[in-house]
Amino acid sequence: MADRLIATPPPHLKAGNTVSEAMRDVIIALIPVSLASIYFYHYYAAFLLVLCMGTAAITEIVVRAALKKRHTLGDLSAVLTGLFVALLMSPGSPWWTAVLATILAVGVAKELMGGLGWNLFNPALFGSVATIILAPWFGFLSRDLSRLNVNFGPIDAISQATPRAMLMQGASLPDYGTMLLGFPGGALSETSPLLVIIGGAFLLYRGHINWRIPVAMIGTVAVLSLLAGGDVIYEMLTGGLMLGAFFMATDWVTSPINNKGKWVFGIAIGALVAVFRFGVGATEGVAFSILIMNAFVPLIERLTKHPSFSEPAPKPATEDA
Amino acid sequence: MALNDIKEGEGKSFVGGTHVPHYKSYTDSIAIERMAIPDEVVVHLSQHIGAPCEPLVAVGDTVMLGEKIADADAYITAPLHAPVSGEVTAIEERPNAEGGETMSIVIAAKGEQDAYQPSVERNPDDMSAEELKEAIRDAGLVGMGGAAFPTYVNINTDQPVDTLILNGAECEPFLTCDHRLMLERADELIKGAEILMRCIGAKKTYIAVETNKLDAIGVLDEKLGGRDDMEVVPLAVKYPQGYKSYLIKTITGRDVPRGARSAALGCIVRNVGTTFAAYEAVVYGKPLIERIISVTGPTVPDPGNYVVRVGTKAEHILSECGVDPDELDGAKVIFGGPMTGLAQDNLEVPIVKSTTGVLVLPPEMVREDMVYSDCVRCGLCVQRCPNWLYPNELSILAEHGVYGDLEDWDIWDCIECGVCAYVCPSNRPIVHFIKRAKPIVDEL
Repeated sequence: MADRLIATPPPHLKAGNTVSEAMRDVIIALIPVSLASIYFYHYYAAFLLVLCMGTAAITEIVVRAALKKRHTLGDLSAVLTGLFVALLMSPGSPWWTAVLATILAVGVAKELMGGLGWNLFNPALFGSVATIILAPWFGFLSRDLSRLNVNFGPIDAISQATPRAMLMQGASLPDYGTMLLGFPGGALSETSPLLVIIGGAFLLYRGHINWRIPVAMIGTVAVLSLLAGGDVIYEMLTGGLMLGAFFMATDWVTSPINNKGKWVFGIAIGALVAVFRFGVGATEGVAFSILIMNAFVPLIERLTKHPSFSEPAPKPATEDA
Repeated sequence: MALNDIKEGEGKSFVGGTHVPHYKSYTDSIAIERMAIPDEVVVHLSQHIGAPCEPLVAVGDTVMLGEKIADADAYITAPLHAPVSGEVTAIEERPNAEGGETMSIVIAAKGEQDAYQPSVERNPDDMSAEELKEAIRDAGLVGMGGAAFPTYVNINTDQPVDTLILNGAECEPFLTCDHRLMLERADELIKGAEILMRCIGAKKTYIAVETNKLDAIGVLDEKLGGRDDMEVVPLAVKYPQGYKSYLIKTITGRDVPRGARSAALGCIVRNVGTTFAAYEAVVYGKPLIERIISVTGPTVPDPGNYVVRVGTKAEHILSECGVDPDELDGAKVIFGGPMTGLAQDNLEVPIVKSTTGVLVLPPEMVREDMVYSDCVRCGLCVQRCPNWLYPNELSILAEHGVYGDLEDWDIWDCIECGVCAYVCPSNRPIVHFIKRAKPIVDEL
């Protein structure tokens, strides 16, 4: 008789999909826009990308070690979060804000919440938005650390106004084609909407993201921009809308599981983006909108829960009075 | 759509489920053969849902093939018959496929071992519905697709049930015994269906077959010759298409609420193997002493679809198919299909009436490392759950011992089909968590 028959519980077959494979595909999907950012911002972009990914990996190792857990670099989620943080940065951002944003993203928003799967907020968005809010409190850092700033020389692209600011101020933007293909001025990920969309299409094709959230979110912004009298195409092609719709709002952990919930979530984010852009006159609001709706996910889940297949049909109203 | 136009993969289906590679080519073109009779059989006294049987024989007794050896007074039960002629050598606890032990009658085969000789030759048309049901009860028939519910209890309805569904979906990968049965025993299967229709008063029979068995669909359709009361329904190839609630919903469109009785639904689902056994029980008085199983796997030297006596041990079945039990290190031997079947670590375990196959997964197909991580809420399990549950929530609550909340997430509706665990990118043993939690929730 065989000494060692394996008798683990069923199912004995497994589809090949893994978390790390999905994370790897998201990284692949972000390569085109990362290259575009390097094309426009040269060393500024490359430096931020390397810095954030490296910081993310180190943060995960250190925080998990402090929590007495094994590191999970193999699932690639930390490195991916670092990549996202870098892509959300403006090219001229001081290095310490990039580091702080990454530490908050991986260390606080992800690991202190219990690790991948338990976080309520999208870690990269949390890290970068928290840094924006906290930056004024850390004025001493920009003062004391400024001499450590790396200077890669002057580039026009990083000193010009962002396309969102230009749009808000009524300055004329290049034609639609140029805006779609690639135009610098914003965050690293905002250099080429086309390449972000191509990355999103790749994720849709690979089945990692559901089409409902990007469609609901972009569709809502389009409709509301039209109603508000904005230039719909420019509204689509400027700011973080495409990255937010395809990569951020579709984050598995921080978006609703149900199809119905995905519609609610996408529409609500789109509506908030429109409020930020047209209502309060902020130059950008995608990151805030997604973070706000992240907080509502548990509620959306509860309200959109579908009944079991075995749920008895509701009884028809009784005929007798 | 005309049946001869239908292509592989097409057909009706249900909402949910997933595509799993079939792995059926190892045995789907191999004709049914008889397997050599073993020297010893172990007949579990409880191999059906309901009351376990009491032995009617004692150690040292001589039994004849087909002789009733155990029965119970209860309504929900099924008698047992000697699968070989020989001598009762023990009545004791023996290992079962669930990893425990079951009281069993052990019979050593002695003397001439012939094929079963009909005890009667009856024409079902001359028999009343009551007589047909009696014959099915006396033969010890149970659901042979895996459920093992006594067939007599299932068909003994007081109100007529208008629809009979013959389950030939065989959605579990690897298994082909139902496929071969439909191809090679189509006439008997149709006669078996007529018998069951008379028992329950059905007006219509649907024979449900997944379209990865186009040859079986063709043969059955031809044999039916366009008759009004029976029809082949081609089904999409999707797991778990063969589960009875999803078959009823797919074919009749009727909802199957929890706890609904067959009579209330107006629909009974019977496995094709059971239907064939009903034919043999009624026409020849043949008890359920043997069944067709698929013995399969990529490394099995002589895979096939074999007629095997109930109570035959895995050891015998494997060696008859050329598998050396000493060379199974790191492999899995599974009773049933790979999605729901149970892996065995003891090859002394015998097959029972509802065992559909013996599958050998070589080490390279075995997922030995059961390392899993936290749920990342990808939603695949929710999307694919055929019962529209939230396996993610169930697995997290069960993993962390929050048993009180499991009923709110409909743990009792889970059919343990394994789809959630199959698609989980975090490799979470979701079904295992749910199965482990059920008895605890039951105690609450």
